[in-house]
Amino acid sequence: MAREPVILVRDLVKRFDSMTAVDHVSFEVERGEIFGLLGPNGAGKTTTISVLSCLTPPTSGEARVCGMDVTKDSLGARSRIGVVPQEVALYPSLSARENLAFWGRMYGVPERELRERIDGILETVQLASRASDRIDTFSGGMKRRVNIAAGLLHRPDVLFLDEPTVGIDPQTRRNILELVLSLNADGLTVLYTTHYLEEAEFLCQRIGIMDEGRMIAVGTRRELTESIGATQVIRVVADGLDADAATWFKDSPDIDEASVIEGKISIHARVGANLLPTVVSRLSSSGASIHSVEVDDPNLESVFLHLTGKSLRENDQ
Amino acid sequence: MRAHYIGWKDLRIRLRDRNTLVLMLLLPVALTAIIGFAFGGDSGISTVEFLVAGTEEDDLISQAAAGLGSGSEMFQAEPATESAAREAVAAGEKPAAVILPEDLTETVIEGRRAEVVVLSDPASRIKSGIVRELAERFVARLNAGSILSRGVFETLAEERGLSEAEQRRLGGFLFGWARDALEEPRLTVEQRQAERQEIDVRAYFAPSFAVMFLLFTMLTSAKTIHEEREAGTYSRLMTAPVARTTFVGGKLLGSYLLASIQILLLVLLSSLLFGIRWGSSPIAVVAMSLATAAGASSLALLIASLTRTSRQTDNVGTAFVLIMSLLGGSMWPIEQAPEGFRSAARFTFNYWAHSGFKELVFNDAGLAGIWQELVVILGMSAVAFVLAATLLVRR
Ligand SMILES: Nc1ncnc2c1ncn2[C@@H]1O[C@H](COP(=O)(O)OP(=O)(O)OP(=O)(O)O)[C@@H](O)[C@H]1O
Ligand SMILES: [Mg+2]
Repeated sequence: MAREPVILVRDLVKRFDSMTAVDHVSFEVERGEIFGLLGPNGAGKTTTISVLSCLTPPTSGEARVCGMDVTKDSLGARSRIGVVPQEVALYPSLSARENLAFWGRMYGVPERELRERIDGILETVQLASRASDRIDTFSGGMKRRVNIAAGLLHRPDVLFLDEPTVGIDPQTRRNILELVLSLNADGLTVLYTTHYLEEAEFLCQRIGIMDEGRMIAVGTRRELTESIGATQVIRVVADGLDADAATWFKDSPDIDEASVIEGKISIHARVGANLLPTVVSRLSSSGASIHSVEVDDPNLESVFLHLTGKSLRENDQ
Repeated sequence: MRAHYIGWKDLRIRLRDRNTLVLMLLLPVALTAIIGFAFGGDSGISTVEFLVAGTEEDDLISQAAAGLGSGSEMFQAEPATESAAREAVAAGEKPAAVILPEDLTETVIEGRRAEVVVLSDPASRIKSGIVRELAERFVARLNAGSILSRGVFETLAEERGLSEAEQRRLGGFLFGWARDALEEPRLTVEQRQAERQEIDVRAYFAPSFAVMFLLFTMLTSAKTIHEEREAGTYSRLMTAPVARTTFVGGKLLGSYLLASIQILLLVLLSSLLFGIRWGSSPIAVVAMSLATAAGASSLALLIASLTRTSRQTDNVGTAFVLIMSLLGGSMWPIEQAPEGFRSAARFTFNYWAHSGFKELVFNDAGLAGIWQELVVILGMSAVAFVLAATLLVRR
């Protein structure tokens, strides 16, 4: 028997009255993967996760978790998933340990293992020293970490993380991303939603890009960028650049596009890094003095832009 | 079923919340104490002192004073001169003084019109009112004596044609009789209130406030159903393998535990602090308390199930509790209300809860004496719970 994917979504539709939040979405997540759902606000990411975590029934289509249908075997599916909601969902006047004990019991963690598992998970999220403090004395980042820990106690097959880094400082964000990576390294399958493309690029082996309820592309980062023929970008900051420089680069066969804006030249090329020596020597010989050079890999921003005609970043904040 | 974990968690959160503790215990106890002070709890009205003034000889005034006080130890009347009496009342030293008319004895015998004046200190209305009433009773007695003596005197004088000497002897006899009448009435109405064992207002209000605040506490407990939705913990529970019935069961359990703790603590505190005796049967008190806790927790759950947000539960619930408390007599002695009102009160939870506790406090009714209340309260609880659970699980 072929191994079934941990998550299987086929032709999923979810309507709220006349509003279609999820529109014929299909994707699969393999065991051991970090799969990212990337999309702007209102794309349908949370709704997709809600259907998968049995919070709301699908209007049509199929959604299976660990081989169990979310509508037909809701209790079975729920016992195999860990859900970390977008907002911190803990009891503020209970301590970290008390919260974890409660959520552990809700997931049916055996009483004799509970203590050990809580200690372990507190270690993992680096909060062992604050175990007995009330949640309402924690910083935002600490609360988020306990929030994640509460979804892990029962050792789920798959963890749903819904925008766990929204509205927190860069330090805590790093912390959480590294936590997710280390959990994944231990074999945990993760479904991660975000509207930060850097996070998706950093974490996810495969990414589904969503917009307005539809899944517009699925694949590895490389597959996605290659599918639209996206290019690397060489950016050079230099004195004495003129419009002629751009014209020269544009005529070169390996270069798709070049432009000069305010003392900075941007060169788009499919094999950008290999062109670097040529670009630098050409600029030097034209009399420009170079301050800095950087090469940007093609990113999901370009993919999103290409597929939707809008920028992901417009929706930031 | 993991409902008990949910109930236990709720109880822990509630007991850790200072506001809940204030609402649960401090407020009802404080209100009971304040009511006790306001209505003079133990002090009651023990004695009424007043002065009696007139122009008669001193011993006659003393007799009148004794007569006014009708021999009760509660009333202490002292003779005084009219000017001293006026001064004492004006200075607030005595609540009232009775000024008898001139020639009181002759006035009585001859049946003349005269006035008894009661001077009263407006600051002590209740006591001066009592003195006024004493004076009225005294005057009524004198009037009766006066009419009687004139009748006797005139009839005898006319029909028998009494001689001068006989008339004088009869006058002397009547005079003596009238003096006696001043001192002590032959025929008295004995005022005996049925088993008047010093009603302590606190014993009345302690159970009332306990029931009212039990309902308030239960509202704060029941509204956590909405608070959990609003805080996202409900959604999280629903992504765990937890059935909705487990959630509702846990909520009721947590509420019920809290209610039982509150009512039992209030019973205990009121007997320690105010010396209220809740009857001689501990089983009856505990049964009554647990039934009341069941009623309050399921009623509050019903209110939560009929509203959509924690705010609504608060607002609707508070109005509901206040109306039931007013109607059911948690805020005033409903025994004094007209019959129609009292039959309406029978539809409230508060009425039956008080009724049960009052049977225990004032009549030491025991378990057998409160079975009716227990049945009604448990019936109300069952109906409220089934309704609430159905609504909540369907939602
Ligand atoms: N319970 C609901 N009732 C009606 N409309 C809903 C409901 N939940 C979501 N929607 C709508 O469905 C669409 C998708 O919402 P969803 O929360 O899934 O987006 P998202 O991708 O998670 O966005 P964000 O990044 O802002 O979290 C939105 O237009 C939203 O208004
Ligand atoms: Mg969302």
